[in-house]
Amino acid sequence: MSLLEIKDLAIHFPTEEGDVRAVNGISLTVDEGKTLGLVGETGAGKTTTALGILRLVPEPGEVLSGEILYKGQDIMKLPNKEVQDIRGNEISMIFQDPMTALNPVMTVGDQVAEVILRHQNCTKTEAQGRMIEILGKVGIGSDRAGDYPHQFSGGMKQRVIIAIALACNPKLLLADEPTTALDVTIQAQVMEMINELKKELGTAMILITHDLGIVAESCDNVAIMYAGQIVEYGSLEDIFDHTSHPYTKGLFNSIPSLEKKVHRLEPIHGLMPDPANLPTGCAFHPRCPYATELCETEVPGATEVGPGHLCRCHHCGNLQKKEGVIHE
Amino acid sequence: MAKNTNKIEEEVRLKKRSNFGEVWHRLKKNKLSMVCLGFLAVMICAIVFSTWITPYDYTAQDLMSRFQLPSKAHWFGTDDYGRDLLTRLLVGGRYTLLIAILSVALGIVFGMIIGALCGFFGKWVDSTLMRIMDVIMSIPGMMLAICISVALGSGVFNTALALAVGTIPMIARQLRSSTMLINGQEYIEAAKSFGESNFRIIMTHVIPNTLAPIIVQTSLYIGGSIMGIAGLSFLGLGVQPPTPEWGNILNNGLDFIYDFSTRWNVIVFPALVIVLAELAFNLLGDGLRDAMDPRMRK
Repeated sequence: MSLLEIKDLAIHFPTEEGDVRAVNGISLTVDEGKTLGLVGETGAGKTTTALGILRLVPEPGEVLSGEILYKGQDIMKLPNKEVQDIRGNEISMIFQDPMTALNPVMTVGDQVAEVILRHQNCTKTEAQGRMIEILGKVGIGSDRAGDYPHQFSGGMKQRVIIAIALACNPKLLLADEPTTALDVTIQAQVMEMINELKKELGTAMILITHDLGIVAESCDNVAIMYAGQIVEYGSLEDIFDHTSHPYTKGLFNSIPSLEKKVHRLEPIHGLMPDPANLPTGCAFHPRCPYATELCETEVPGATEVGPGHLCRCHHCGNLQKKEGVIHE
Repeated sequence: MAKNTNKIEEEVRLKKRSNFGEVWHRLKKNKLSMVCLGFLAVMICAIVFSTWITPYDYTAQDLMSRFQLPSKAHWFGTDDYGRDLLTRLLVGGRYTLLIAILSVALGIVFGMIIGALCGFFGKWVDSTLMRIMDVIMSIPGMMLAICISVALGSGVFNTALALAVGTIPMIARQLRSSTMLINGQEYIEAAKSFGESNFRIIMTHVIPNTLAPIIVQTSLYIGGSIMGIAGLSFLGLGVQPPTPEWGNILNNGLDFIYDFSTRWNVIVFPALVIVLAELAFNLLGDGLRDAMDPRMRK
């Protein structure tokens, strides 16, 4: 049994301008100790998916359908009290912006200890001990535990947040773009630390990012999201070496390579569709260089192009570029 | 292991000191605040131990020595019944300060609870409670206090309650807006994702972040409350004579303002006490806000 299994999850936000369909029927699994990379552009529904797992979709969003099975239990059906016990203890989340994810008027030590006190049956002193231990693991000395967040740099704050997330030895870590707000050198440090701690504690992780470099370094499986759907799903090797979906191809083409000498990068043309007004058929067809009439009318199902390698495209087997429409 | 526990305990103790100790340390640097704190401390001590300070009874009349100016026997002089003014001011201070602090405390506790609930939960909780607050706010504060005083009768607690009702909506509004602001912050979302209950989030994350402006407001409201008590006393509500209270002592003195050059003490001393007490509370509040804001720490 997998640690986490999501089946056909759909989340929408009813607004006055129309239904914003942020997540449209995604399915994925995470095994114990493994890392799944959730990759996609801004607005693809990555964060909403993660918040959905914790049942924290912000107002007015609601989960339309789908199951989120954590250790075989459907999180959507659990009473609130039990979900609260799972949050932070079994599944915890690392937030994108370390600058705002810490309470400015509490010492960092207190903030770490708070989670421990909430979930582990222990005394204050024991919680303090555990707090100092976990802060040590992320490289923050016990002498800094009494300091306030504004006395820390961005990278250190993110390490505190990682310490909070890992304080109760969770089984699953949801890392929502943990390095986006940090500069490149600190990014590398933080990712390395997350990976080490993950290995040490045996935590599984869903890593949300739009940086394929980070995915290549730390993920076992990859799901590429586009307009609230997983368009391609497979092992790291499947995605990187046997890229099947035109969108994934587009993503790789937009990255400069050190080996190949190219004159110009090939970006994906156009913008992400408005989730309140998704195109008919395949959501990607207006931007797809391989689109045919079929793509405009029919929603592609998931095709298995290799063992465990799924792709949502009518043409994922044989991609034929449309004759010079967009690209010239 | 034992050694380890000792070490941890020591660290915990160090941190505790840094919380309260640091606020105190920073407050000590603010000279104006320290002067105010000293003044308030002396005043409160004098009020508490007034029976040992002056030999007079605050109701004892001595019609032979009416309107005496300050002298060795009567430091602040005497009033129209020949009662010692200093004694009356000290005893009156008990009632004034007690009512002022009690009314502000009531107003802040209820105002904060209502404001935090409205800001945090929004929706129908917010609409319902805030419309009730609007109704209270639509009645002028002094009139509301007069009505409640008349309905409940005089007395320390009733007067405090009458004054508190008017401050509840103001504090609730303020706390509601700051709660809404904080509610959008990521650390509230983070706290939810760590499995904290709503109650814990309000108590440990929302309220501490809204305290700084409330502390300053508190000192302002104590000042306003002293004036409110005086106003109620003036109308014959609130504290009833012969029980002294700063407001009614001043109002009593006001009757003799036509003779200011010979009877100035009955106006100047009560007015001075009220002004100084108010000023001290306000400046201390300012200093406390600066000292308690962790972002101002070095």
